[in-house]
Amino acid sequence: MYKVGADIPTMEFNEIGRRGIRRYDGHEKASGKALYTRDIHVPGMLYAKVLSSPHAHARIIKMDTSKAEALPGVRGVLRYDDPEIEGKTLTGSIVGPNRMAPDYAGWALKPVKTILGDEAYFEGQWVGVVVAADTEEIAAEALRLVDIEWEESPFILDGEEALQPDALILCPGAENNKVEDFRELIEKGDVEKGFKEADIIIELKAKRDAHLWAGAEMPSVIARWSGDKLEMWVHEQQPYLSKLILSEQLNIPMYKINTHSPYHGCSFGERDNPPNWHQNGINVLAVLLAKKTDKPVKFVLNRAETFYGFSGDDMVSYCKVGAKKDGTITAVEMKNIFDVLMCTPGIEHFIDNTRVPNLKCLGLTADVSKPPAWWCRCEQLPNCFCFTLVFDHVAQALGLDPTEVALKNDGCDGHDMGYLSRYKQEKGFSDRDSLRECIEAGRKAINWDEKWHPPGAKRLPNGRMHGMAFTWTHDWDDIRGTGSAAVMIQNDGSVSIIAQHSDIGVNPWTAYVQIVADELGVKYEDIEINPFDLNQGFALMSPDGSCNLGSNGYVVKKAAQRAKRMLLDLAAEKFDVKAHELDVKEGIIFERANPENKKTIAEVVNMATPMMNAAVIWTEPPVLAWAWHTQGLWSQAVETGRPRLCRQAHFIEVEVDTETGEVEVTKVVNANDVGKAISPETVEGQMYGGTYMGLGRAFTEEMVWDPKTGVLLNRNLLDYKYATMNDYPAADTVIVETGLGHGPYGSTGIGENTATVVPALLGPALYNAIGVRVDDFPITPAKVLKALGKTEEDKG
Amino acid sequence: MKEETSRYLCPYCFTKFDTFEALKGHALTAHRGEAVPLPEGMIRLTVNGQAYEIQVQPEWTLNYLIHDIMGLTSPKMFCDRGACGSCTVIMDGRPILSCMTLAIECDGKTIETVEGIAEVGHPLIETYVKHHSMQCGYCTPGFVTTAKALLDRNPNPTEEEIREALAGNLCRCGTYPQHPKAIMEAAEILREKGE
Repeated sequence: MYKVGADIPTMEFNEIGRRGIRRYDGHEKASGKALYTRDIHVPGMLYAKVLSSPHAHARIIKMDTSKAEALPGVRGVLRYDDPEIEGKTLTGSIVGPNRMAPDYAGWALKPVKTILGDEAYFEGQWVGVVVAADTEEIAAEALRLVDIEWEESPFILDGEEALQPDALILCPGAENNKVEDFRELIEKGDVEKGFKEADIIIELKAKRDAHLWAGAEMPSVIARWSGDKLEMWVHEQQPYLSKLILSEQLNIPMYKINTHSPYHGCSFGERDNPPNWHQNGINVLAVLLAKKTDKPVKFVLNRAETFYGFSGDDMVSYCKVGAKKDGTITAVEMKNIFDVLMCTPGIEHFIDNTRVPNLKCLGLTADVSKPPAWWCRCEQLPNCFCFTLVFDHVAQALGLDPTEVALKNDGCDGHDMGYLSRYKQEKGFSDRDSLRECIEAGRKAINWDEKWHPPGAKRLPNGRMHGMAFTWTHDWDDIRGTGSAAVMIQNDGSVSIIAQHSDIGVNPWTAYVQIVADELGVKYEDIEINPFDLNQGFALMSPDGSCNLGSNGYVVKKAAQRAKRMLLDLAAEKFDVKAHELDVKEGIIFERANPENKKTIAEVVNMATPMMNAAVIWTEPPVLAWAWHTQGLWSQAVETGRPRLCRQAHFIEVEVDTETGEVEVTKVVNANDVGKAISPETVEGQMYGGTYMGLGRAFTEEMVWDPKTGVLLNRNLLDYKYATMNDYPAADTVIVETGLGHGPYGSTGIGENTATVVPALLGPALYNAIGVRVDDFPITPAKVLKALGKTEEDKG
Repeated sequence: MKEETSRYLCPYCFTKFDTFEALKGHALTAHRGEAVPLPEGMIRLTVNGQAYEIQVQPEWTLNYLIHDIMGLTSPKMFCDRGACGSCTVIMDGRPILSCMTLAIECDGKTIETVEGIAEVGHPLIETYVKHHSMQCGYCTPGFVTTAKALLDRNPNPTEEEIREALAGNLCRCGTYPQHPKAIMEAAEILREKGE
């Protein structure tokens, strides 16, 4: 079972933490040999295409598919009223955490769950018909030949409008447009008491518009039936859960589904929601069409179709904060209104990460005529958004250095640092002050002491205004999940890690191989992992929630330790000594007391084999050990008994052109306490990579719906703009290693945090530059000019 | 009704003849020694040093031909419309977007993909691995081809020139800072080898 506490290494680090290790998947990816689902071609394969609603809210009155069915090359048509599809809804599984459960399945908590129905609740929703044809072009042509008579209905795009008592009700049968959420009210302490104790009260309103994953590889699946056996190629983070759900939904025994999970072109949570329509929906349609046509069916969305959801932080936030003159925050009260999905309420980092005693958050979610929303690197966006803005408003209102205000409030669930010190000591961690270390490192890297200044106070020689800002939060210590893997020693002494695992680019396999190398005493280059096939029986934790290494590091570590014990037991017979008198290093087994007495692993395992021919009798079973690990306790916001100990600090420097409203980022510093960096280059990759995503979100990334028609206007990567190489400077990445993570060897997660924390930081930086607030994200030049009173409208 | 005359078309010069014999006589005398012209839709091109003679449909993109027909899967579809650079291949020395190029227009062209660049042992591949210039890897081939084309025409690029050359390549994982490092190191290796 999972035990809370520090993971103290029991062996010497050779590969772990070393720079310059050859990236495990590097050559395959650089040489173009890495295969993604989109690349795979199965003989006789058909291509599926589904109809998307052109209207924001409409119902099919009449649909004629006869012309489409008659088109040469069309091999299968499924209509919403066909028995195979009618009434089929998205579903979760009885196994698994709440969000995977049937009640929560579907359109990221939207109330209607039909996979392919006759009514569309947002523009772009799949409705009516799906076809399979010899080519994608024929399938698209078939959809153009479908005659549909639509009945259009009114729509609502704005959450606050949707929650008005007299608003039109969007979901049939619902009493209002409010989406129920068990986190609607969060309350700790007494905010009224906290406001009374305060020297000042600050109020603010902030807004964030919807943005998108926009991963590189389009969502895709291939389904192929062979009798009653189903073979699938999926682009998903969690193929095992996906298979479980599909099995229950279509009544196919799990053992009859053989799933391949090739390389994955990004995800960021996009391919991480097995009960949702973009995953479960695609799978069900592909599987049913493959059954109907008796041919393999590939279903790949095109780029426009991938704008089928958004980030779960499309929100308006009203905050009220009480603080003392020295920067101590006494109370925070929020009301946050979300469109479609409240990814996180907005207050949780104050709980996880501060000693602020009085907190209250009302989080309301409105059903609107937009697509489903869910986690998008990552679900903590609302929490980070509110945290950054509240802290900056407090520091600026009091004229204090924001880094000092952070240190003044650091803590956990209303407790101060003394509480955390006691926890660290009890659980075997060193008592280091992570936030102070991150702040010191970051301040130095950006030259804070010399450059920071009061708002609107520094005009540069080039005429632009100079601004700086800082924010912070805890580490991504939501390292939780469950995985299994085996470690097997081959007859030549090389080692295989056996387990399915979906790679989305965060270089996990290098880290697993490093861990097995050090735990087993084998060279890095003598170890491989074959993660593409789910039917090998073991599956590592999916790469979501920054959980890759936090769970899987323990899995492969345990499996390697067990394999090592088996190996040494076997070796003991050959050396004629006790197993504990032996050790392994770099693939050589030796007697500790007499290192010259040694054998290679190959010499020891030469009689231990999983398979050989009938002519020879082998005397030993293979050296193969498997392990399972579950990490964390699966809850959000202060996991009981496991406070977050690592911190992170981010700094930014900008120049603002007050004539054009343009903001240029000149420097970014990410100081991240990752506990222990198993692969430092990988940690840095998540930091500078996350900074590009974060800045794109801050400046340009937004989905724009036409208020008159409810149609999404920028369904492509020319009009939905994210960072290119020349838009922002590379972040200065500072790795802090305190060993305070709950993951293996004291590590903690890094995959999500920079991209999630950085976006809101632009608001404070802009304020520091021009002395006027723009808390409306993304922050475009037009919004800056408006804040400065320089638009035509302002000039009258 | 009179039978349609001049139904035999000379494939070399498009002159029409009434009978096959007349066409044959004309071809043997007027065009003796000339190479047989390609049938409609047939193109000849060289991909990664291999000669191809292949029948294409007029609507096929070069990406479809290379990725789906030839099975060279490195040029990736990402943005669907010439915004991202992931489908970049090198055509006659220039990086081009294979998703925005019609295959039928590529007769006589010489094309390189990452598979070919790796096959000849170009140092870019190893410097990309060394500097972690990829995360999910989907857009990586587009970067490598663009970089290779740059090094072919500019063996000693500045970081500024590299950034300019790669400005049209999107990477959602944000690997951007690692590309100039890998490319400059590959350039140095090539210069040392005197290539």
